[in-house]
Amino acid sequence: MGWLSGKTVQLVGESPAIATALQAHGAELIREGDCDILVHFVAAPDEKPVHELSHAEWRAVLNAGLDQRFFLAREFAAQRRAIGKGGAVIYVGVPEQALGSDQAAAAGALVNLTKTLGVEWARDGIRVNAVLTFDRSETLGNLVAYLASDYAAYVTGAVMGVGLTDG
Amino acid sequence: MPVPGHHIVAKPPPFDAPPYPADVFAGQTVLVSGGGTGMGLAMARAFAQGGAQVAVMGRSLEKAREGAARIAALGVRVHAMSCDVRHADQVAKAFDEAEAELGPVTLLANNAGANFPVLAEDISDNAWNAVTRIAIDGTFLCSTEFARRLIARGQGGAIVNNAAQYIWTGFPGDAHSAAAKTAQATMTRKMAREWASYGIRVNAIAAGFFPHETSTAGRREGGTEVLQNMIPAGRTGSIHEFGWLSAMTCTPFLAGLTGQVILQDGGESLRRSLMMPDYVPPRERSEGPWGWR
Repeated sequence: MGWLSGKTVQLVGESPAIATALQAHGAELIREGDCDILVHFVAAPDEKPVHELSHAEWRAVLNAGLDQRFFLAREFAAQRRAIGKGGAVIYVGVPEQALGSDQAAAAGALVNLTKTLGVEWARDGIRVNAVLTFDRSETLGNLVAYLASDYAAYVTGAVMGVGLTDG
Repeated sequence: MPVPGHHIVAKPPPFDAPPYPADVFAGQTVLVSGGGTGMGLAMARAFAQGGAQVAVMGRSLEKAREGAARIAALGVRVHAMSCDVRHADQVAKAFDEAEAELGPVTLLANNAGANFPVLAEDISDNAWNAVTRIAIDGTFLCSTEFARRLIARGQGGAIVNNAAQYIWTGFPGDAHSAAAKTAQATMTRKMAREWASYGIRVNAIAAGFFPHETSTAGRREGGTEVLQNMIPAGRTGSIHEFGWLSAMTCTPFLAGLTGQVILQDGGESLRRSLMMPDYVPPRERSEGPWGWR
């Protein structure tokens, strides 16, 4: 239906389901530079008992699941503001309590970051939403594409899953 | 105050550009409780845009018929019925009637609700019972009637519930609805689990401020123009984008979506700052959108 016709999207992370859906709905995927939409996917980290994690391992999960997500969104939002256009950020990852304590910390932080940025950037016309799920199906791709599109113009700061295992 | 000109306000496509094809619900019948007016009518019209036949249920048959006429104008078959969703026998009879007129109901939108701002100490037993039971018992009765029929036929389906953006925060000055709407959202998650193996999906929209002719804000003197700057998104919601998201959760595009409560409120419920206006208890508020006493 062309939900994303004429829009450019940077998809960070490997997600064939999301890439396929974004393109099917008319978006052009670009590797770098200005884009209308930022989709940031982080795969599930390995699950280990928290007392067996080195600080470096802990930091790696927090860096990928939280820090890099914020830094990229901050850069994206600055670009959008510079050209006076709105945009959308969609964070995709796995649910908060599903794996180790490192993931619980990263995803919990991401949830409240999503809610915060959604409001902080609302008047820049930049929406921020998150999907935390194990789902890798077409539903995930379509949900992300819908959230990225103008059809979701009134959805911001929302955090959702896809299926029953998403909490 | 108006929204400052340098702010950017994200807007949805117009009503005549729905996000799904005109036959996405072809051959299916949706039953919409409270579908004759307001948000229920918006849901019903959105389903109709996807080709669903629509059974419109309302406590007032006249309002249901008025709504049905507007839905029929979109080119689908409709049937208007009177039903008080608090009574199991009326709900069963309404499903019988809908299925006799339009065929098996495979989609359900639980929208019926009553709500009005009132101080907690002024809520009568009757008012409490009405607001909570229409949403809580009504959603239970309609959803279970729907599910029993689908399970008996070995048929899948989808339910969407109209919840509210204040379900996670409480809503001072609206205690009955605060309780009722959260029950709808939490039962959404549990029913989704119970019925997943039957192919019945259950989701909810936690909707923000979507003024319409029958809402308190819609009737407000001066209209809703002055309310736009209150919302982080810079506007109140357009009723058709609420209808679309509701219907969207029931489409094959989101075939794997279940047990989800999706917030659609333009950031309204997430407003928060270190410094805020002084706290005024609801009973001491002298003005605002709600007239207190």
